[in-house]
Amino acid sequence: MTAIIQTEKLTKYYGSHLGIADVDLEIEEGEVFGFLGPNGAGKTTTIRTILDLIRPTSGRALVFGIESSVDPVGIHRRIGYIPGEFTLYDRLTGGQTLEYFANLRGGVDKAYQASLVDRFEIDAKRRFREYSKGNKQKIGLVIALQHRPELLILDEPTSGLDPLVQQSFFALVHEAKAEGRTTFLSSHILSEVERTADRVAIIRDGRIVKVDRVEALRDLAHHQVELRFSGPVPTAEFEGLPGVSDVVADDHVLHMRVSGPITPVVRAAARFELLDFVSREPTLEETFLAQYGRHPTEASEAAKP
Amino acid sequence: MSATAVPMRVSWFSRVYGLGSVYAKSLRDSRLSFIVIAGLLGGLMLVGGEAFGKAYATPESRRELHSLIESMPPILTALTGNPVNVEVLGGSISWKYGPFFVLLAGLWSILAMSGTLAVEARRGSLDFIAAGPFGKRRIALEKLGAYLTAMLGVMAVLALTAWLDGVVFYSLPGDQISVASALGFALWVGLLGIVSGAVAFALAPFIGRGGAAALAGLVMVLGFLLNGYQGAVPAFSSVAWLTWFSWATQNVPLAGQFDWPSLALVAAAAIVLMAVGVEAFARRDLGVTSSIPTPGRPPLTLGLHSPAGRIFGEALGRAVAWGLGIGIFGLLMSASSRSLSDAMAKVSPETLQIFKNLFPNFDITTPGGFLQLLFMGYGVVVVGFAAVMLVSSWASDETSGRLEMLLTTPLSRARWTLAGGVGTLGAIAVMTVLIAAGIGIGAGLAGGDALAPMVGSASLGLYAAAIAGIGFAVGGLFGTSIAAEVAAGVVIATLLVDLVAPPLNLPDWVHQLALTSHFGQPMVGSWDPVGIVASLAIAVGGVAIGVWGMARRDVNR
Repeated sequence: MTAIIQTEKLTKYYGSHLGIADVDLEIEEGEVFGFLGPNGAGKTTTIRTILDLIRPTSGRALVFGIESSVDPVGIHRRIGYIPGEFTLYDRLTGGQTLEYFANLRGGVDKAYQASLVDRFEIDAKRRFREYSKGNKQKIGLVIALQHRPELLILDEPTSGLDPLVQQSFFALVHEAKAEGRTTFLSSHILSEVERTADRVAIIRDGRIVKVDRVEALRDLAHHQVELRFSGPVPTAEFEGLPGVSDVVADDHVLHMRVSGPITPVVRAAARFELLDFVSREPTLEETFLAQYGRHPTEASEAAKP
Repeated sequence: MSATAVPMRVSWFSRVYGLGSVYAKSLRDSRLSFIVIAGLLGGLMLVGGEAFGKAYATPESRRELHSLIESMPPILTALTGNPVNVEVLGGSISWKYGPFFVLLAGLWSILAMSGTLAVEARRGSLDFIAAGPFGKRRIALEKLGAYLTAMLGVMAVLALTAWLDGVVFYSLPGDQISVASALGFALWVGLLGIVSGAVAFALAPFIGRGGAAALAGLVMVLGFLLNGYQGAVPAFSSVAWLTWFSWATQNVPLAGQFDWPSLALVAAAAIVLMAVGVEAFARRDLGVTSSIPTPGRPPLTLGLHSPAGRIFGEALGRAVAWGLGIGIFGLLMSASSRSLSDAMAKVSPETLQIFKNLFPNFDITTPGGFLQLLFMGYGVVVVGFAAVMLVSSWASDETSGRLEMLLTTPLSRARWTLAGGVGTLGAIAVMTVLIAAGIGIGAGLAGGDALAPMVGSASLGLYAAAIAGIGFAVGGLFGTSIAAEVAAGVVIATLLVDLVAPPLNLPDWVHQLALTSHFGQPMVGSWDPVGIVASLAIAVGGVAIGVWGMARRDVNR
């Protein structure tokens, strides 16, 4: 597989304030890569550095094998981008705005542009300043998509969109993937990354804390297990098992948290009369929160005296 | 079950830091503009006082000045103040600089009062405030109160510097300026500024910030010109009485002449307009305004085919507005040159001789000579500010957040900056052509040589291009958010150097710092090549520096 985006120890300081530190990413051709993190974690700084809108303090970013600060135009020619926040020309209509950006790129298929306008149900005759937040976002999405770029870089792309339009948008991302194009999707909305992305990176305080496939990230997380007993709850039998924590008895039900293999719990439970056994697979959200709430990054651990 | 909200005490820190109320926050937001305007007016007062004290230090020179001003026909004194006791420090300052003070205060007021509610409403932050536990009327009153407090501060600085002028720079008896005169002058400037801003405040809830500021600016400039020229153009008298400039024309406090009722009338007008603004804001939908209907632009002028075209297209409206405004002013000035020569021939041949002695290189009764004498000084300042506005139009790509979208197309930073230079200079060319056309028509109406002053208008375009070049250099190197501000600072500094260097007998090199001192007398066809070369070098060099700088810095959001 070819790496479409590759960052090596990408670091950006704003004065003394850390934006991102030692960000290493490798995004393969044709995949949808989710980039998760809460507000201020460094998602936008990473994207802006990759796109050469800001320059790294150290490290480097390569897109299509081109170093971003060496030939940014060569990269921009092949990408479509929607920033997390943007404004456009207040006095131009939506149609004129799309025309201008199409002219800047050249070679935009007018029929495809029109089909996108239709799919997003945009009234292209209204002035940009008259659009609602969601409609402005739709114009931004068409600008990013209208030239069928090889790489889509989307920063919070569904912000302000209603659920139906979100569906149209995700359908377009799936189409892009089906055509072998790559998508880099930055978001703090876990469900949209979970349903769209092949792989996910989680960024925290400017540092990447985890990169893996969506399924693998789920596997990494704990299972929430509930055992319903016919008789008294044997709490002590489970408390000492490997990977088991937060054991709480509630009447005849025993709740516990299990990290790693669940086999020891199953074996221990088999020795008792059970009415029910529930093991709930964690959502990506729970994984994400676990990464944020419980596991400090290795780097920050190492930095401790 | 319901809970009763208990009002929280606002901490002293919040109060001091300007976060304790809408009033305090608005006052806090205006601190920079307050410092700028108070510094500008106070500085002008001090340098004006020092310049007069040095230039007219003897009774003979004062008498000559008095005779000269007395003998000047109305057309020559149209844009100066009321000449009362011009042989003393206060009277002279009022006559020479009074209109500057009033127009600067008015301009600041218009910008501040048109935006105090409308800008917040447009960007949405007012929704948060309006959703708080107080009504819209109170919000408007607190915002208004903050502006008036800032204006009161400006007036205090002006009164103090006026009084200091009399203490520090007096050279002959009568130069002292009493506390009452200083306060009266500050009140005059402040009230005339407030009433101009109040027009914008009353209009902003209906037509938004831009339209309100434009209309209020038009009302102020038209009122000023009508009042100033009514002595020379009797037809203007029939409408000039409608303007507050006319009401307060007999109030010259620095010269010891007071007309308090006229100030009361101005204050009453301001109060009525502010009340209209408060009520309109309280009763209308928040942030809902109607645009002033303007004819649709032909698609070709929108510049959708290239970055340079787009930047030119964005700036074109402003360029045409400035070009028409300055061009009409130039038309009026050049057309009135004939009335000047007629008036001088009939009334005061001696004055004509005085001017011939003062300006031996050109004939002030020709359109070109007249424009060189009376139009260029104001013209360069106005086109300088026009250039600042055009730089700000280019800068808005980055300051508004558009640039991020533009630079992720195959458009390099260098090409964007270069396109900005081409587009902005193109807009300046359009503005200059309109100015030249106005001047040419006026000169034609006056029956004089139209070609020389029309070509001479190019000097205004060159100066504007140089100011734009400075803006591009700063924008590229340090960020577009300060480009227009620095360019405006250069315009103001140039004006101050031009105003004070000759009367203060400052070293020649100081005066040479002002680009405007290097154009020669272009309106009469006498050009100084240094000015042309310097302007072009600054314009082109500024864009080149901007290109270089832009390629090296982060793009701001």
